[in-house]
Amino acid sequence: MIGKLLVTDLLKMRRTGIWWVVLVGSVGLTAMQALNFGLRYDYLVNDAYASDPWGGLIESTGLFVPIAIYLAMTLLMSMIANIENRQNSWKQTLALPVRRSQVFASKFLSCLIQLLAACVLLTVSTLILGLVLKLPGPIPYMELATFGFYPMLASLPMLGVMLWLTLTVRNQAIPIALGIAASLTSVFGASMPELLPLSWPALALHGEQAMRFVGLGIGVFAVLYLLGSLHFSRKDVA
Amino acid sequence: MGTWIAALRSERIKLGRSQIMLLAVIDPVLCAVIGLLANVGNGEGAWAGLLLAMMVLHAMLFLPIMTGIFSAYVCRYEHAGGGWKQILSLPVSRSALYSSKLLVVMGALALNQLLFLVAVLGVGALKGFDLALIPWADFGIKLLGGFIACLPLAALQLFVSTMWSSFAAPLVLNVIFTIPNILIANSATYGPYYPWAQPMLVMMQAGGQYDFGAFGLPIETLLITVGGSFVLFLAAGLTYFNRKPV
Repeated sequence: MIGKLLVTDLLKMRRTGIWWVVLVGSVGLTAMQALNFGLRYDYLVNDAYASDPWGGLIESTGLFVPIAIYLAMTLLMSMIANIENRQNSWKQTLALPVRRSQVFASKFLSCLIQLLAACVLLTVSTLILGLVLKLPGPIPYMELATFGFYPMLASLPMLGVMLWLTLTVRNQAIPIALGIAASLTSVFGASMPELLPLSWPALALHGEQAMRFVGLGIGVFAVLYLLGSLHFSRKDVA
Repeated sequence: MGTWIAALRSERIKLGRSQIMLLAVIDPVLCAVIGLLANVGNGEGAWAGLLLAMMVLHAMLFLPIMTGIFSAYVCRYEHAGGGWKQILSLPVSRSALYSSKLLVVMGALALNQLLFLVAVLGVGALKGFDLALIPWADFGIKLLGGFIACLPLAALQLFVSTMWSSFAAPLVLNVIFTIPNILIANSATYGPYYPWAQPMLVMMQAGGQYDFGAFGLPIETLLITVGGSFVLFLAAGLTYFNRKPV
């Protein structure tokens, strides 16, 4: 049943611009670095990051990964919820013989698929950028594969909050504004105390303890997901 | 003129019971937290230092993005449930309707700037700065400059918000162009011509003690960019809206 729901959800998302967000978000980050490296190639490759150009590319892209992921979670979830809100189709969807928790799960899975696609796109486009720039040194495949993926897992609590808010609050301005505000403050994530989930993606990017923050992110997300799913299953449909 | 004022009043009524105040509060509150955490010495120029510390996040990211949120917000009622048809069947010209929406966005932005000022003053008072030393002229010019620098963005965002029915779509555009501010503000070559970086450049520049990257520009250059892009975006938006099929 969940498979069928997922297929219909992905079908509903055609021609809504959601996949454009995935594409523009991940490739846009690379394009920004392409400009950055293209305009000051000599300084960055031969001076600032001379010892490890690939590492430098990954690090300067990685600077923007946490905020991009937070924003993607906010905007994608809002667009997913908007499909049902705009056509007033919550009633119809929930009148079908499916469990509400499954509807909730399918919305989550479709967002997760999009986020994973964005991570893959980021890896591939950064690899291509590095090759086009002819960066010297061995290609760090492992770091390329994880520098989008780990922060994404560490910022899952945000997805939990957004799932909950966007699917239960009808006025999308409130979850979006909260989500964007949180994303913008996450720019300073690296200098925040570890206790705040907002600092986790930045920490999962750098420190040796990446796995710890990935684990924490998944754990907190699980709790938020359960709470959101419970609330969604019990609330009235207007 | 009479219908224009009536259109403006109806816009205000539509926002009356909404949570737009809540949105305008988020930014000053977060900036106040940063101001409280910032380590600013209590002495000569303490107020200017505090303003600078709180302004970075506010001017670089929040101001352009709040502009987008406000613009999307004033079009929300019309996009939900066929409101465009209803409002455009009324005897009010499309230009009057559009300009009254733009004016409401400006009002929300001005409110946001005022609340930011209140946040700065509040944090300063909490830190025990001398209230007699508040540099009113400096604060006033910076806040007014930042407000004016947001107007082109307001015009552009209102344009795309009337075009796209999704609340999030115009914001995606806005966010994608705002994030590069972090890089572009450092560039003396490109900074002056990037509309999204103008609020930051103007707010940092007015008063002129911050000379780095694109920050050391004469204020006239910035105002030409701001004025030019405002006229361009407003003309594009009005032309589109007057021809928009409903």
